[in-house]
Amino acid sequence: MSYFIKKMSRRKIVQALIALPALSLFRNQSAVPNPNGIDPDEIVEVNGWILKRSDLA
Amino acid sequence: MIFDSYEAYKQASFKPKVCILGSGPAGTTIARKLGAAGIPVAVLEAGSREFSDESQDFYRGTTVGDYYFDLDITRLRFMGGSSNHWAGWCRVLDSQDFEPKAWAPDTGWPISRADIEPYLREVHDILELPDFRPDVPISDDIRWVQLIKSPAVRFGEKFADELDRSKNIAVVLNTYATELAGDGRRVTGARLWSNGQDAGAFTADYFIACTGGLENSRLLLWSNQRSNGGVVPNAAALGHYWMEHPTFQGGNAILANYNEFEVDASNEAFFSPTLAAMERLRILNFGVRLIESPYPNVKRLIADLACTAPDMAEWMSSQLDQRLRCAAQLYVAWEQAPLASNQIELSKTDVDHAGVPRIELHWKKSPLERRTLLEGLRLFGTTMAQKNLGRVRIDDWVSNGGDYPTNEETAGHHHMGGSRMGTDVLKSVVDANCKVHGMDNLYVGGSSVFCTSGQCNPTTTITALACRLGDHLSKVITV
Repeated sequence: MSYFIKKMSRRKIVQALIALPALSLFRNQSAVPNPNGIDPDEIVEVNGWILKRSDLA
Repeated sequence: MIFDSYEAYKQASFKPKVCILGSGPAGTTIARKLGAAGIPVAVLEAGSREFSDESQDFYRGTTVGDYYFDLDITRLRFMGGSSNHWAGWCRVLDSQDFEPKAWAPDTGWPISRADIEPYLREVHDILELPDFRPDVPISDDIRWVQLIKSPAVRFGEKFADELDRSKNIAVVLNTYATELAGDGRRVTGARLWSNGQDAGAFTADYFIACTGGLENSRLLLWSNQRSNGGVVPNAAALGHYWMEHPTFQGGNAILANYNEFEVDASNEAFFSPTLAAMERLRILNFGVRLIESPYPNVKRLIADLACTAPDMAEWMSSQLDQRLRCAAQLYVAWEQAPLASNQIELSKTDVDHAGVPRIELHWKKSPLERRTLLEGLRLFGTTMAQKNLGRVRIDDWVSNGGDYPTNEETAGHHHMGGSRMGTDVLKSVVDANCKVHGMDNLYVGGSSVFCTSGQCNPTTTITALACRLGDHLSKVITV
């Protein structure tokens, strides 16, 4: 693992870290059920954006 | 044979069986079909071989209602007609475009898509097209559809040599048929205007009006007025049900992988609804066109997204850092409801140089179309999100019911209806064979016979219908 990290540029590592929280948004996998009963895949329209509920902050 | 004047034509002593008015895609295609069948045809073209301001001036007119293009700009009056400024986008109307829709009055054709399919091979040769691939379902609601960019065939240029060599076809330039005369059963002749003056009457056994999606109505309305109903005996629908393809930018999209859609050379991809989605939402057909966003627009889009979904905006930002193609502008062109109130009338005050009343076009977009635009974008956005293909933002003016922008494409320069096809003489002008109801020898070619507009550019369907009419007449007419 440390070998790969050494090979990666600091810029690439930062980009990967930035992408992590949102990666699930574009994965073709259903999201983990929410314990509050809210469907994360529900389509919502906010400020003109058509999003999944899980996209919202 | 091509004659540059009516005077030159007269000296040739050519005896046409059929007179075609107009040398655009419909007129030229029908003439070639008839000529190949050994039927002598005269094609009267009001303009010359090249564009001229003097010729275009005959096309001036006015529009009442929604903003529309100047009528002398939106079409061309010279050999080859409006194919001379055609962009080249090709697609045949969908089979669902021919079917009646319970939620949209006066939809449905008396023919089906299957009736023109036998002619598509010919159309591909004429328009120089590769084969279409089948539509690709993206979801139960949205299809990824294909519009092929043809080399934008200019009919006047492409077929000039062939027409010139033909012994059965006489193209007569600078010869304007100002009106047809008829007795309620047959057209008895056409009145001509040439070289700045009345040039007498022109006779043939059959007449086919192919003067364009605006001009066919003008010609028939004026002819009918002059002959007291002798040219279109059932004229209740004449000039009515005129349609366009309104076209506006309705939103933007960020895309997970732009390359997922094999866009064409102009980086554009197209999406349309399924019939099931149209039925469920009670909307009309539409086409969402993805056009790659310029870099500054993408930055603004991400900044906007950051207010609502910051994590995704951050991810997009990192994507933008790596590759520029990650967002698209969404242009929507949609099917217009066929309304009798959208109509071509003859001006009561303004005439052209030959004394023919100019067009007064009455045109408004309807609430059904407004709903088609909004629900269509929602449908597309929902599919993009559900399938994790991207995210869509609908423009505020669409979401909030604001006015249509005045600085955009507006429409496609697609002039349809006015002499529509049908079986009900109160709601149509021509029958399934494009013959004017009640007339034995008068036919109409071109998009003025369209009953509905669908969402795609009309030239492919115009050409297919012209092949079909040419084929039909080749069997009907005996030499």
